[in-house]
Amino acid sequence: MKRPSYVALIATVMSACAWGQQVSVYGTTLAQTWKDETPGFDAKTYTPATQFLGIDATGLGMDGLSMHLYGWGTSDLGYVKASGGKADGYLTYGYLDYRFSQANGELKAGRFSINQGGGFEQVDGISGRTDLRGGFAVSFFAGQPVLYRPDDPALSKDYAYQRDVIYGGRLSLRLKSLGEVGVFYVQDGSKSPKDLPVPEPVDYTRKQLGADIHLVPVAVVDFSGRTIFDVASHPDPGVGMAKPSRIAEHDYRVRVKLPGDFSVSGNFAERNYYAYFAGTTLPSLFRQDDRDKFRGYGADLTWGQASGIQVVGDYKHTHRESYGDTNRFGADLRWAVTDSYMAGLGAHRTNATEALMVDPITPAFSLSNTEVRAWAMYTAEKLTASADAILYSFQDKKNPFLNGQSSLYEVVASLGYQITPAVRVSGDVGFGTTALAKNQATALLRADYRFGFGRKGGR
Amino acid sequence: MARRIVYQMSVLVVGFGLLMGCGVVSPESSFVATHPQELGPGRPMCADCHGDDVMKGSLKPYSAFNHTPDFVRNHRFLAGSDGNTCAVCHAPSFCADCHGGKTVMKPATKLGERPDRMSPHRGDWMTLHKIEGREDPSSCYQCHGRANNDKCRVCHQ
Repeated sequence: MKRPSYVALIATVMSACAWGQQVSVYGTTLAQTWKDETPGFDAKTYTPATQFLGIDATGLGMDGLSMHLYGWGTSDLGYVKASGGKADGYLTYGYLDYRFSQANGELKAGRFSINQGGGFEQVDGISGRTDLRGGFAVSFFAGQPVLYRPDDPALSKDYAYQRDVIYGGRLSLRLKSLGEVGVFYVQDGSKSPKDLPVPEPVDYTRKQLGADIHLVPVAVVDFSGRTIFDVASHPDPGVGMAKPSRIAEHDYRVRVKLPGDFSVSGNFAERNYYAYFAGTTLPSLFRQDDRDKFRGYGADLTWGQASGIQVVGDYKHTHRESYGDTNRFGADLRWAVTDSYMAGLGAHRTNATEALMVDPITPAFSLSNTEVRAWAMYTAEKLTASADAILYSFQDKKNPFLNGQSSLYEVVASLGYQITPAVRVSGDVGFGTTALAKNQATALLRADYRFGFGRKGGR
Repeated sequence: MARRIVYQMSVLVVGFGLLMGCGVVSPESSFVATHPQELGPGRPMCADCHGDDVMKGSLKPYSAFNHTPDFVRNHRFLAGSDGNTCAVCHAPSFCADCHGGKTVMKPATKLGERPDRMSPHRGDWMTLHKIEGREDPSSCYQCHGRANNDKCRVCHQ
């Protein structure tokens, strides 16, 4: 979005607040500092300050009309600049929302996030939804995708990997006490690749058609998932090469509640990267020409209640064709001792296929590791305190990602105080090791403000 | 191009208005915008109060929205199809804590005082992502493939 558009949008939504029957303003100011000690280099201290600000105003002159705004700005206070010396900021969302009193109808205009069909997108545009007769519902969105840093600013408007328009829609059918099925479509760009400012022989446009399902026939069984198809046109593969699969993703999950506070869930997922990565804005990392495939399945067993002790045991197997297999298993315990005390403990082991390198000294190295985490939290009327520790222990010190270390850890302790009903301050201190910095000490001061009448903010 | 986008959006809005105005739209009143009672601390289990009732709007049992560990880890499908239900209790900023598009810090740093929340990327994530990304890059893609990839580009040119 261009700067004048930003100003116009912010001016509109800010002035709209004056009409609000309920206005909530909330902000968080964060002053951070951290010190990296890397062997062979001078120790560096970074001190950025960041401000988050949000506004929710409802009942803007009429019931159902509301405005929502949220963003952040940051600047380095110290001599050493974490962000290269540049102040930075971002409008996360800023939109007007109208909710109809009938049919769960809703219209949004401005910048917002949309989680519809195959993608989670940030859009400068409009969206809408409504229930129809017979249990049907329809929703749509359209606008310009929010882009960050294009490879080449001159190409930022419309080129192979970052298109100038995005749109999609979903049609669903809801059956009472049974669930919901839906079909959806999402597309980036409207021009053929040969008509782009810089013509492109290959169509990297995302055109995805999918179907989703969520069945809850009885309260104890919950089945959900989706399949996404790549329907864009692609050139024929080279001689001797198989055509890539048109199935971008299968992702399905079932959960069954068992007697005695037990529940079990299982999931299966398969992704063909050629189709799944269609429309990426980061082609160097999520490569469409990579004919790789991912397949995974897993299961969780949960015992207990959220208001007491809850234990989850989990297992997950994944297979990536170009890499190999990974098995991850472990357990998490979450204990809500009282409304004031809560604690958790978790341990997981990951056994992974060795990664291969073109290096005669280290031809392969292990990615296998063990993760242990423990945390505790205390919440009183005005005082809060917490501690959180996580440790990763690696099987193979030859792993080049670890820079010779065999374990990495981080411990964070926090203390907070509610000064007034609207203002709260807290501070975090942390210490740990990273693969680059032998020792890293961190500190963070946080001030939360919350003014207004809205009841939902922040939950 | 801008003119065409405005035209396309106008057609969508007018079409939506016609849909709302004619008889194909459900005559049912909308689901409440805000939960009528304050909820207590911790993860809510909707079925504890609502039992086996079916939720108006989503037409699913309230139990489908119980905030179990499995629900918290896999909320993306319901957030997509039943965002209105989420909005009954959650302000949009709750989602933005993790799904904020371009972000200035890890959610685990911003929410360092809330170890009970499932904030992604704890510890030395810069190192760990090289391992988890090798095992399955599609797990990264879901958040960073099309957006929030500013920092990825520093190394992944």
